[in-house]
Amino acid sequence: MEVHVIRRDNRHLYADILEDYFRLRHRIYVVERKWMDLDRSDKREIDRFDTDDTVYLLGLEGRNIVAGMRLVPTIAPTLLSELFPQLALNGPVRRPDVYELSRIFVVPNRRGEHAGPRAEAVIQAAAMEYGLSIGLSAFTIVLESWWLPRLLDQGWQARPLGLPVDINSMSTVAVIVDVNDQAWTEICSRRSVPGSMLVWQGLAAVERRVIGDPVPAI
Amino acid sequence: MANIAQLWGRRALDFVDAVERLSAPGVIQLFEAEIKACGFHAYIMAGLPSPGTSLSDLTVANGWPPEWFELYTRENFSVMDPVPKYGASTVQPFEWSEAHYDKESNPAAHLVMTRAAEFRLMEGYCIPLHYDDGGAVISMATEQLNIDPVAKSALQLIGVYAHNRIRSLGRPTSERALLTAREREILRWAADGKTSWEVSVILRISERTVKFHLIQASRKLNAVNRTSAVAKALARGLIKL
Repeated sequence: MEVHVIRRDNRHLYADILEDYFRLRHRIYVVERKWMDLDRSDKREIDRFDTDDTVYLLGLEGRNIVAGMRLVPTIAPTLLSELFPQLALNGPVRRPDVYELSRIFVVPNRRGEHAGPRAEAVIQAAAMEYGLSIGLSAFTIVLESWWLPRLLDQGWQARPLGLPVDINSMSTVAVIVDVNDQAWTEICSRRSVPGSMLVWQGLAAVERRVIGDPVPAI
Repeated sequence: MANIAQLWGRRALDFVDAVERLSAPGVIQLFEAEIKACGFHAYIMAGLPSPGTSLSDLTVANGWPPEWFELYTRENFSVMDPVPKYGASTVQPFEWSEAHYDKESNPAAHLVMTRAAEFRLMEGYCIPLHYDDGGAVISMATEQLNIDPVAKSALQLIGVYAHNRIRSLGRPTSERALLTAREREILRWAADGKTSWEVSVILRISERTVKFHLIQASRKLNAVNRTSAVAKALARGLIKL
């Protein structure tokens, strides 16, 4: 699996894949998870946070989407600022160097244990690699609280922004996660992610730091 | 209401900041002070019971009355206790009373809860934690549970961060430090299908030494044989093909 960076500058290269992606999101969030508020007649799950400024990281095998997530700039409206402001004690984070992660998923037949690194770990390591590459300092995430121990356990420094609140009878919490080399090295070594995963097709003009191997070779 | 949420929110966030700098005894001391403020006089943090493990092996922090812990271990209550059983099946924090059992058909569960009450462990609140490598619970006890929902949310965060801090302090500084360079080197050759004798020729050491390192590596990886050791080392990223 390779994780492709898709943003305003190279969207035209991924028009068909993005179409598949929004249909897949419908299957995962509306059909499977039953978040019926997201249901639309065209069976694409797409909302006001999917804008030209949204960045998508899609784990692809050939043309098939295996995993995905989106990154929304926090200077624009986010899930935290618009939908769940009660989760942030000091108000939502709004900083140019902080993006909000959401719609983090792995397709059903690739969840659970597999040989090699798990897709869930690869897509999260890819987010950290992206943040390091373009110089972000943190991510915010609104997540179901039961996920929090796992997030911490992969070596990410996640600080809560407020208390957990039951939303649709699931305990939900907002956190801010530092983007740094250690967070990337830790998730790679603890979750067996071999290293850099990102493909920057059509993004040669983007200024970025090249991320090397997270662990020294034996 | 907004005020109490602010108050507990600050308190939980302060706790999160503080534990990052504390050693395990410091974390436990601070955790005990917080739960006491919510009326809990006893608690335990432990991995979920599984066959062949005893409570003392699974315990991360023990704040049970010593006599209760001793009785619980001796009578092997962990396999009958309805609280961890329920904790294994849910991701949401819960009160002990939500861990339902039927007195008639499950007298063992009823026995545990009855004996617990003799130690003033009558009601409780339990936070399940689900990690990649298994589950754990933080279970807190009181005589009468009378806790604000906001304080419960605060305890949930306090519990998660206390447990995680203690867990990470117990972790070896690097996963790779688990195996020596020699053990990794030999496993790498074993992964290529080389026999112990062939490895001994390649590395110019005795076959006996090769076998010794393979046994050491297998023990550290909890592997039953060399094939299993290779598979586990690969899966954990300790060796690469």
